Amino acid sequence: MIVNRVTATFVMLVLAGLFQATAQAQDETSDSSYYGDLRNVDQRMLTRAAGDGNNFLHTNGNYEQTRYYPASQINTENVGKLRPAWIFQTEVVDSMETSPIVVNGIMYVTTAFNHVYALNARTGEEIWHYKHDMGPITTYCCGPNNRGVAVHGNKVFMGTLDAQLVALDARTGKQIWSTQIADPEFGYSETMAPSVANGKVLIGTNGGEYGIRGFVKAFDTETGELLWTFNTTAENSVGVWATHDATGRDMHRDIEAEKAALQEAGDPYETLGGGVWQNPAVDLETNRVYFVVGNPSPDLDGSLRPGDNLYTDSLVAVNLDTGEYVCHFQYIPHDVWDLDSVSPPIITTVKDGNGEDVKGILHGGKTGHVYVNKASDCSMIRFSEAMVPQEDMWTLPTADGARMLPGANGGVEWSPMAIDPTERLSYAINLHQPMTYTVRSTPYPEGKLWLGGSFDVIPEEQQWGNVTAVDYDTGKISWQVRTAQPMIGGVLATAGGLLFTGEGNGLFKAYDSKNGSELWRFQAGAGVNAPPSSYTVEGKQYIVVGAGGNAQLNYKRGNNIIAFTLAD
Amino acid sequence: MRPLFFLTGKASMKIAFGLLAALLATGAAHAEAEFDVEAAAGQCAACHGAEGLPSDPAIPIIHGQEFFYLYTQLKDYAAERRANDIMSPMAAQFDRSQMKALAQYFSDKSWPAIQTKTQEGDAQLAQRAMSRGQCSACHGEWQGDSRIPRAAGQQPGYLEKTMKDFKNEVRLNAAAKISVMKKVEDDEIEALARYLGDL
Ligand code: HEC
Ligand code: HEC
Repeated sequence: MIVNRVTATFVMLVLAGLFQATAQAQDETSDSSYYGDLRNVDQRMLTRAAGDGNNFLHTNGNYEQTRYYPASQINTENVGKLRPAWIFQTEVVDSMETSPIVVNGIMYVTTAFNHVYALNARTGEEIWHYKHDMGPITTYCCGPNNRGVAVHGNKVFMGTLDAQLVALDARTGKQIWSTQIADPEFGYSETMAPSVANGKVLIGTNGGEYGIRGFVKAFDTETGELLWTFNTTAENSVGVWATHDATGRDMHRDIEAEKAALQEAGDPYETLGGGVWQNPAVDLETNRVYFVVGNPSPDLDGSLRPGDNLYTDSLVAVNLDTGEYVCHFQYIPHDVWDLDSVSPPIITTVKDGNGEDVKGILHGGKTGHVYVNKASDCSMIRFSEAMVPQEDMWTLPTADGARMLPGANGGVEWSPMAIDPTERLSYAINLHQPMTYTVRSTPYPEGKLWLGGSFDVIPEEQQWGNVTAVDYDTGKISWQVRTAQPMIGGVLATAGGLLFTGEGNGLFKAYDSKNGSELWRFQAGAGVNAPPSSYTVEGKQYIVVGAGGNAQLNYKRGNNIIAFTLAD
Repeated sequence: MRPLFFLTGKASMKIAFGLLAALLATGAAHAEAEFDVEAAAGQCAACHGAEGLPSDPAIPIIHGQEFFYLYTQLKDYAAERRANDIMSPMAAQFDRSQMKALAQYFSDKSWPAIQTKTQEGDAQLAQRAMSRGQCSACHGEWQGDSRIPRAAGQQPGYLEKTMKDFKNEVRLNAAAKISVMKKVEDDEIEALARYLGDL
């Protein structure tokens, strides 16, 4: 439903923008970029973001989602001199997962409960603040998170916990339109940042813990009108009754029992879950969108959902214009451990089985493998060595709880990976959290939490994290660094040979991306569990990250956005 | 209707049961015509209190409770996911929009203050259970948020009963709570109930 369409205002703002732009061209004052000319976020800028060392225009840096930032002013030689340039404190002290977006010197960040701030990226000064008027019905599993905005034209887009998509005026923060994406009463909510491509806002949905029917939808950037929907659970979700996962391990499925259940209750696709938690990678050359689909509902109880549960736990490609299915690859058929696919896929050139360069898709799975797939038909080329301990895969959940590693947070959680295409390395952050898997069958509860059991941390067992570099041409681990706590948030690689990532204990670190040696650290005072971004204003490169902790892993909450630059 | 403040324990529950039949009859009449939320809410006052103070320790405060939580409980009582001899037939009179109207009506009211006596050692026992069950991950400071009920200042008698109902698989409308409460000892539940009631 489109609540508000203010076309006239839009035209006036564009005109006002024109005047402002001319004034700025004549007079290079320090705030020339302050009221930056947002009309400039056109499709060309979005398309060329991978080479743009001034802005940070996509959640994961560019359409390929490499999180490889092309600026190198901050590099292995001088990163030791990195210091906070400014700290901005938001009004909301809670879990922070935002990827700061920077356009011509203006930064957009979001907080838990859907606040958006526009900041002067040079000074940290607030330009505007938008608070979403949250509806009374929200259903979300893993904290009141938000992972940021998408930008296009004069608009800033955000998905909300009450399952709306809102478009804000980038200059003022006033709402231009809003659209109800799905019904929050039945478990739909939004925490992912949207993506924009060719006039479309693309967004998935949370809800795999509530028996939703997952989707990716495309909305018109100007009007908020729904253009297409791709349902992530196929009307025939049964598949091929696969007995092994993508890595060749036996899943111990009772195919006969599943077939009987299918006979009795029919295809479970309507409540089969399949959330899409993170941004799609967009390939404008082939006009395709690649995304990964999350777990089937209910998470641990397979008895109610016979079949492979297509397209849960899969890489899926669809046509950008129409949302039509192109290809898919399922990593785990009939998952009963929630070891699903959440970390956003990356498009890059990889070596295929014959050593030839082909367009590939990388995905860091909760299993702890980096999967390397072929973009043309989605098929798998290889999977990496395991980045975390794996034990007793696949042990079925039991009524009393069965131990299996990795625990249900992975592996790799929603945290985006980065790559360095010059080194042909991917970088992931990992969790090692031993858990038991318990199954308890309950019928579909109409939009309430529906796990079909529980995942329980084993308190006596030690937990930790890793930062892992994988050579995606061979699948071998190139280097690995242990961290004190399980890692959640994300990484940023730069052309300065650096890798930035934060920890739950407040440490924000820079590593040498070639070998993993630690080159710099900063104590932020609250969990650094958000993906970093980078940008350049007035000739100075900055690194920026949110330090607000994490609800899911209960890391210390805070409300800081911290921008770093080199000390003079 | 006057709230039955003077009654406590099992006796009042029996009286409440007696009231039920009469109340249900009135309710049915209302459902026919345009929904009169005030009148429907009047049925609730006998037990939940006209001013929000329940007539019995085992009856929860619903005045000032979260809208979405109240609405969900009414749906769950009606669907017997939360089967209860009193509340299931009560809730089954209403359709979804009427449930929403009632939930709105009660969530707009202010939460009444109650007196709760804690015992020595309650806080320690409660803290121990809360860290084991990771309650704060969902409940935060116990003030409620949308689908998460407010538990701070809730009736201890009710809190104890409903936590034990989760644990003993009597209350089935939140499966995840069953696993959580199974990890909590009975004496911890009793301490938690008083601790939360006193917040
Ligand atoms: C005859 C007494 C009685 C009447 C009348 C009554 N209730 Fe209740 N209500 C109870 C009891 C007892 C419980 C606790 C039941 C349980 O343990 O599940 C309860 C529980 C509830 C709850 C669950 C609250 C929570 O914290 O989980 C809601 C909501 C509720 N009642 C709403 C209503 C509404 C609305 C009405 C009027 C339409 C109403 N009740 C009428 C006795 C009553
Ligand atoms: C996974 C999230 C989660 C955790 C962990 C959790 N709760 Fe809950 N709790 C909920 C939800 C959601 C409800 C509402 C269930 C419903 O809709 O029926 C609830 C309901 C309750 C209620 C019922 C209140 C009422 O009015 O009926 C109590 C009491 C409670 N929780 C106590 C606890 C305690 C004590 C712990 C820790 C030992 C705990 N919870 C851990 C999510 C959680």
